[in-house]
Amino acid sequence: MITIRGFVVLFGGILFLTSGFSYVNYYLTTLGVYMIVGLVVTLPLFALTANLSGIEVDRVLDKEKVFSGDFLRVRVTIRNKSKRQFDFIEVWDQYPETWILAIGENFMASRIEAGKSITFSYILQAKMRGRYYIGPTEVIMRDRLGLHYYRRTLKARTQVLVYPTWKDVRRMESLGKQRQLGLMFGAHRTRVIGMGTDFAGFRDYTPGDAFRSIDWKSSAKTGDLVVKQYEMEKNIQVVCMVDTSGSMGNGYPDNTKLEYAIRAAVLLTYMGIERRDLVGTCVFSDVVHSYSPPSDQQAHMYQVLEALAMAEASGWSDYETAVTYVTRQVDKRTLFVFLTDLEESPAPLINAMKIVVANGHRAQVISPFGPWFEAPVGQFGPVEKVLAEAVSEELWERRTKIARALSRFEIEVVNVGPEDFLPTVIRQYNLAKQRGIALH
Amino acid sequence: MRTVTWVLRILSIITFVIMCWTIYRLLSGYWEWDIPYVFIVTVFRMLSLLIFFASIMIVNGLAAPFLGGAALNELLSGVYNTLILRLWYLQPYGVEGPVTDVFQVFASFSTEFTSILYVLYEELFTFLYFLCAAVGVALFLQSLVRMEQKFVGGAFISIQLILVVAAFRGVAIYNFDIFPTDFLVFLMSSLQVLVLVSFAYLEIGYQMIYSHSVGKPIEDREENLKKQLLALRTATRREDAIERGDKVRSSVMSRISGATVFSFLRETIERKVLGSKGGVENLDAVSDVRRLQIYIDELLSSDPNASEELTAKAAAPSEKYVITSTITGSLLRIIAVVPISFVLLNPSFLLGLLSYPAGIESSIELNQPEIIMLYIVPILLLFPLTAMVIRVFSGRESEPEPTLSKEEKAEVKKRKKELQRKKKEAAEARRTREQARQKRSPEEKDEWDRALEETIKH
Repeated sequence: MITIRGFVVLFGGILFLTSGFSYVNYYLTTLGVYMIVGLVVTLPLFALTANLSGIEVDRVLDKEKVFSGDFLRVRVTIRNKSKRQFDFIEVWDQYPETWILAIGENFMASRIEAGKSITFSYILQAKMRGRYYIGPTEVIMRDRLGLHYYRRTLKARTQVLVYPTWKDVRRMESLGKQRQLGLMFGAHRTRVIGMGTDFAGFRDYTPGDAFRSIDWKSSAKTGDLVVKQYEMEKNIQVVCMVDTSGSMGNGYPDNTKLEYAIRAAVLLTYMGIERRDLVGTCVFSDVVHSYSPPSDQQAHMYQVLEALAMAEASGWSDYETAVTYVTRQVDKRTLFVFLTDLEESPAPLINAMKIVVANGHRAQVISPFGPWFEAPVGQFGPVEKVLAEAVSEELWERRTKIARALSRFEIEVVNVGPEDFLPTVIRQYNLAKQRGIALH
Repeated sequence: MRTVTWVLRILSIITFVIMCWTIYRLLSGYWEWDIPYVFIVTVFRMLSLLIFFASIMIVNGLAAPFLGGAALNELLSGVYNTLILRLWYLQPYGVEGPVTDVFQVFASFSTEFTSILYVLYEELFTFLYFLCAAVGVALFLQSLVRMEQKFVGGAFISIQLILVVAAFRGVAIYNFDIFPTDFLVFLMSSLQVLVLVSFAYLEIGYQMIYSHSVGKPIEDREENLKKQLLALRTATRREDAIERGDKVRSSVMSRISGATVFSFLRETIERKVLGSKGGVENLDAVSDVRRLQIYIDELLSSDPNASEELTAKAAAPSEKYVITSTITGSLLRIIAVVPISFVLLNPSFLLGLLSYPAGIESSIELNQPEIIMLYIVPILLLFPLTAMVIRVFSGRESEPEPTLSKEEKAEVKKRKKELQRKKKEAAEARRTREQARQKRSPEEKDEWDRALEETIKH
């Protein structure tokens, strides 16, 4: 292949050649012939030596699974397995568009001797969860004068799994440290007074209390019968139902309802594991994509992260199928926390709630309201503004009806926006613990 | 690599100077140094005449209904002398000193029109010599500093264009009446020497750029990395100082120069600026910078090769290789180009091989330069054709398809199968549920059904 520079030389050659013909001048003709011959004479030799199939690219990543926002070093080794050196080789290692090149360059240009290798590295910041590929690598070989080139794309790609962001957990941990310093008050474990071994306090005796629970020493001091109370700490069981239907993916790429729902699920799982509660996750749309049964093991966190990393907004929300599937799996009272935008028909949701309640479980809905996650109304023109407001009103009315219907069965629907999504999830979880919902 | 580049730079200067000096000597007697000035002034005065003519016509046209022609003539002459002639010295043709009669100007110009045009035409070619030379020298100087091939090519073409213009004017530049059939005569001729020097300039210029560009990316890479790390360190210290409550002094310049060296920090700062004050974006931005600093520190301390790999210092080519390969490469090219060009330019050699009929062999057209077109096109096309054949037979154009291992293929298959199964099961379950609902009598309706009906109804 001739480069643009090569074409300039060709153009110059033709110019001098035709000038030589026109003015019957051998100097210009000779110059033109020299330029054209100079351009093509090395072409067969270049084709013979530029054996790009002798180039091998090996890519090594520090980690193959990272959290969104983490840094990752990519080391690229270019090996010349042929018996000839390459005078000028350019290597472009491609990385996902949404990622940021933090340090270094993903480009390398040099010459490479026969049988030798060169290594370069660069550091990327992984952005947005999902399954990504580093690569392919584009190798361009030029001749010394830059007149000809060959290009080859090496398809070798390296898969990287990007977990949802961990920054919410980090932020919560830093708040937790403040709490340890007595600066904040946080949630505590659910205490059930009655059974157990931990002393909880005294109360007056009421008929029916067991005699052995009377604390005789305190009763003697006060003159009234006093009962000694013990408490037992219990944990709750939660299943986080993450809706990944198509409507959950609306909005700015990093600001969709699904992204917030996933962040909420991560936070909830982390909090659950920290407090010895059993938290499971179900990712669903029209089918159940993945289900991690409730657990309080540390390894459980990675199962959940992996399931959430792969979630993609598509299909519609079949709540019934998802609930049927989960209720078959869980054998204890469970709190179902639905993270869904309620933009589907109400029938599947209400039918699903019926299954939840009928199986003795509890449920609550934390629902991101679509318009709050999309472009601010201020950015619209007058027509779009009116349309957006009309759509918002209709959506709001619909969810109000659903909320009213569900409230009959003590199922709370909480509307959330981007700012209060995570705080609401934490608050609802803490409330559930305090109220002792779905104890096991 | 800098030494090699400098050596080639000097060689490039030498060949360029020889090329220019030879062309200058070849056209000696044609370099009239006052011509550029005269040409520009002539053009300028032609333009002034146009302005003069246009202004007279406009003013005359506007004022004629109100004033007499004589009075206007005086007025115009006065205005022109005062405003234009004094201020800009736009002296129209055929008038010496101040203008007294505007029509005198037109009369004078119309008589001298053809001679002025002829002078302009005559001066144009000498002016073009100077123009091409000036452009060529300017591009040559640019090529030494900016190291781009377009400047080398531009300088070469500009200087050679002088000879093209000279040939057009019929100036006796190097030429053969009949192309020599003896290779040595051809090789020793002045024409060949100038062609060779010009070609050598082009070759050395391109080699100089190669030598610069093969080492430059690695030098730039190292430089960029240093800047990035410094900017990162500065940003982290700054954030630390702000957190401690220290006052941080920073000029706008320092912020720009420090922060815009790489996209990561630039984006982080943009997030900080655009995000609400004290908001989550601000926290994220600060946290990202700090985490990157920690990551880099850990990486550099844990891996001794990390710094070298980031700069790719080890990939820098050796100077010795570049020198030897430059010399051998250039010599090979010149050695190949000269005889091939001689063969192409010399019809008798190829005619001997092809044994044409006597009528063609003794044809006068064979002594014209155009005859080489008969051979040059097919012979030169042989080179790309050979290259193409080599590429096709070596199979280098075909790109390897991504091949999945057996396990990966099985995994993909399993995943697809699983999704199909789930979809089928879900569809089946939905059908069953729907059938069960349809079978129920209206009396069986419970509270949930009523709630649903109310929700849909309202």
